[in-house]
Amino acid sequence: MMIRQSALEAGRLLRRWRRDPIVAVQALLFPTFLLVIYKLLVGKAVLAVTGNDSLYGLVPMCAVVGAIFGTLGAGLALPAERESGLLTRLWVLPIHRASPLTGRLLAEATRTIASAVVLTTFGVALGLRFAGGWQAAVPFVLVPVLISVGVATAVIAIAVRADGRAMVTWLGAGCVVLLFFNTGVAPAEVFPSWLQPAVRLQPMSPTIEAMRGLAEGGPVLWPLLQATVWAGVLVAVFAPTAVRGYRAAAEAGCQ
Amino acid sequence: MSALVALTLRTMSGTLRDADLLFAVLAPVGCFLGFTLALGNLIDTGGITYPQYVLPVVVVQAMLFGAMTTADRAARDRLSGFGVRLRTLPISAMVPLAARMLYCLIRAVIALAAGVVVASIFGFRMVGGLGCAVLFVLIVLAFAMAVCLGADALGSRIGSVESSSQVLLLPQLVLVLLSTGIAPAESFPAWLGPFVRYQPVSQVTETLRGLAAGHITAVGLAVTTAWCVTLLAVFGSLALRMQRRA
Repeated sequence: MMIRQSALEAGRLLRRWRRDPIVAVQALLFPTFLLVIYKLLVGKAVLAVTGNDSLYGLVPMCAVVGAIFGTLGAGLALPAERESGLLTRLWVLPIHRASPLTGRLLAEATRTIASAVVLTTFGVALGLRFAGGWQAAVPFVLVPVLISVGVATAVIAIAVRADGRAMVTWLGAGCVVLLFFNTGVAPAEVFPSWLQPAVRLQPMSPTIEAMRGLAEGGPVLWPLLQATVWAGVLVAVFAPTAVRGYRAAAEAGCQ
Repeated sequence: MSALVALTLRTMSGTLRDADLLFAVLAPVGCFLGFTLALGNLIDTGGITYPQYVLPVVVVQAMLFGAMTTADRAARDRLSGFGVRLRTLPISAMVPLAARMLYCLIRAVIALAAGVVVASIFGFRMVGGLGCAVLFVLIVLAFAMAVCLGADALGSRIGSVESSSQVLLLPQLVLVLLSTGIAPAESFPAWLGPFVRYQPVSQVTETLRGLAAGHITAVGLAVTTAWCVTLLAVFGSLALRMQRRA
C-alpha cells in the first residue's frame, strides 16, 4: 500500500514541477546552459592542461547541478504547500504517514534521472563517448540519484520549517559556492594547494568523479563509495529532522 | 522627509530584512573568489594577473545580479497593490520609480566597493590615477542604472514575483560567461569570437580593465559610452512607460 501511495504522491509532485517555472529552469534549462557555456569557455583550456575533453567533467557536473538546484527549486514550493494546508490535509487522510516523504524523495530521484538523461544526450551530441560501451550509460545517469536523495532530505528538513523559504534561499547561495569549487570544471590540480582537499571532498566531486570514471573507463569504485558515504551522512543527519519537521508542519494546521 | 527619501528608506529596510544588501556584498566577493581560485590557473590571460583581469566582470556581474533582485521588487510592488495605492497619494507618478532606482544606485556602490576590496587583497590595483578611477565608477553606475531600469520594466510587467528573476538568470549567465571578462576571446571557439568580442558586457569590462590599468582607447570608451547611453535610453523609456501603466 505504502508503495502505491508514495508513487501517487511522486506523480502529483512530478506533474506540479512540470508546470513550475522555477523547477523547470533550475533542473533542466540552467544545467544545459551551463554545460554548453562552460564547454565553450574552458573547453580549450582543459584540453590543453589535462589532455582530456572537458565534457567528461562537465556533463557529470551539470547533472549534479540539475539534481541539487532542482531540489532547491522544489524546496521553495514546500512552504506554500504548508501554508495552503495541503500537508495537513494529507496528514489526516488514511494513508501511510511516511508516504508523502518517501513519495517526495521518489519524485526527486525520478526528476534527477530525467535531467541526467537529457544532459547525457546533450553531452553525447557534443562529443561525449562511453569508453566501456553503451551499457555504461545506464549507471552513468543513475549515480546522481545518490547525492540527489541526500540533498533532498536536507532541503525537506529545512524547507518545512516556518522560516523555510529564506533558509532555502541561503542554502542555494551556499550551493553556488560548491558550483565553483568542484572537480567538474577544472581538475583539482589547478586549484591552490590549500584548497585541493576541500575541492576533492565536497559532496559534488565524488559523484562527478564516479561518473567520469564510468564514461572514460577509469576508477569508479572509490569515488562511488565516497558519494554513497556523503548520501548516507546527509540522510542520517537530516532524515530525523525532516520527519519531525514534517509532522510539526502538518499538525500546525490541525489546531 | 520627502516622498523620495521615504520610499527609498522603505526599500532599504525591506532589503535589509530579505538580505538583498548582504547579497550585494557577498555576490561579488564569492564570484571573485570562485573565478580566481577555480579558473585563475586554467585560463591564460597573457601579461596581466588574473585578479586584475577578472575584477571588471565580477563588478559587472554584481550589477546584473542587482538587476535580478530589482525585477523581483518591482513585481512585488505591483502585485501586492502597493503601486496602485501610491498613485492615489499626492506625489509625482515618477517618485516610486525614482526611489527604486535610487536604491539600485546605493546597492551598486556597495557591491562595487565589496568587489574592489576583495580583489585588492588578491593584488588588484587601480593604477590609472584619480581621473580613471572616477570614470571607472561612473561607467559601472551608468551600466547598473541601465540594467536596473530594464529589470524594473520587466518586473512591472510580469505575472509572478519569483519568475522575473528566473527569466533574467539565463541571459545574465550567457552575457557574463561568454564574454572577454573571464577569458580572452582566443580561448573560445573561433565561430563564437565575434559575439564574445562585441557583446556589451565584453565591451564594458574591457573599458573598465583599461581604466584600472590606466590606458584607455578612444574607440573603446566611445563604444562603452554608446552602449550605456543606448541601454539607458531604451530601458529608461520602457520603465517610464510601465510605471505609467502600472
